[in-house]
Amino acid sequence: MDKEQLKIQMMDYLSGSMHEDEMNEFEKVLQDNPALQMEMQALMDTWDRMGNLKTPEPSEAMDATFFDMLSNEMDKQHQKSASKKFPLWLWPFPKAQWVFGLLLLSLGIAVGYFLNSNSEEIPVDNVVVNEETESVRQKLVLTLLEQPSANQRLQGVSEANKFEDADEIVIRALLQTLNQDSNVNVRLAAIESLTNYVDQPVVRQGLVQSIPNQESPILQITLANLMVALQEKASIEPFRQLLQERKLDTTVQKKIKNSIESII
Amino acid sequence: MLMLKVKSGDLDKLGLLYERHKKRLFGFFYNLGNNPSVSEDLVQNVFVRMLKYRSSYAGNGSFAAWMFRMARNVNYDYHKKAARNKIAAGTDPEDVHVVTDGFSDKADMEDKAYQIKRAMAQLPDEKRELLVLSKYREMKFKEIGETIGCSEGAAKVRVHRALKELRNIFLQLETV
Repeated sequence: MDKEQLKIQMMDYLSGSMHEDEMNEFEKVLQDNPALQMEMQALMDTWDRMGNLKTPEPSEAMDATFFDMLSNEMDKQHQKSASKKFPLWLWPFPKAQWVFGLLLLSLGIAVGYFLNSNSEEIPVDNVVVNEETESVRQKLVLTLLEQPSANQRLQGVSEANKFEDADEIVIRALLQTLNQDSNVNVRLAAIESLTNYVDQPVVRQGLVQSIPNQESPILQITLANLMVALQEKASIEPFRQLLQERKLDTTVQKKIKNSIESII
Repeated sequence: MLMLKVKSGDLDKLGLLYERHKKRLFGFFYNLGNNPSVSEDLVQNVFVRMLKYRSSYAGNGSFAAWMFRMARNVNYDYHKKAARNKIAAGTDPEDVHVVTDGFSDKADMEDKAYQIKRAMAQLPDEKRELLVLSKYREMKFKEIGETIGCSEGAAKVRVHRALKELRNIFLQLETV
């Protein structure tokens, strides 16, 4: 066996990537060759010794910086794609006609502007770009909320906070998160996000319906505080149901009783 | 497949790739001797490059190999720039070896880990990278070969040499 081949086998043995037959055969080679056995042992010791080096965890600031960067890139991409959208069927017209047409259009706009200087300007381009950004953000939120990692789902809720006006799909996803997510922090973040839309009856109703589903004291207290702030009378019945739970924390019990009195 | 989606314009999939690989990349930079703060910046740079050069991703090899090739370049560029800045600031060129930033933490002088850091710092850059990829980042030799541009067999031989050199450095440090 040549030296290179031997080195390859030593690395296979070390990394545990040998089949059982190969391993038995190689161990016989080692037994017959004490010098090689010593070298192998030395390599294994060094390999094991390397395992003493611990690696710390990256900070949360790294996540924040990354997602900011990604969000900016996505915004840039949407702006570009919006500006590139040009009706291809118009291309058969010669360039000169285009230039002339554009001149006429500019003239028309200028005249219109002077004749009607009081009318409000509508930033059409911005509206298109914003709509596209919102749609991509919606996809991102829905994808992140489905991830197994709680950290990613939190990121999803935080993305949802960036909507100027979340649509029904996002609100439904947030309500589902509030009712079904296994992580308390994610549920808490979902409540916080939903408070941006409490003027919508669906959201208020969803929050009220989620009261009996919550088992965590912090979530129960947060919902109680929110219902008092909203003066939501529909929440009284679910809170009364919750009070009948035997396992209910005593502090939560007191809080809910106070909340019911404040709402009535 | 996620990177192919990013390439075709589905940028939000980069978020999933980030979640999947951030710790591995951070560990790569940290194990190479960068301090945690620099390591985080370098992870960021890798993802910025992924976006910038996403069209170069062919999807016919391992994604990890493509990512670590980029990470190696990011690390190399960072240290080249840092060394240039130090020289420009009047530091003696012989003192310029910024790779060992994270290896000079006196708090863990007594620690076993410190000995390993010291020994690793004395390895040439290429050998240190090989050991970090194979031991700490648990890359297969085939992927290491793809990352550094050689065959699987050659990658094994090179890791073997690096490990042997590290062993010699350990022995030297123990006799000093």
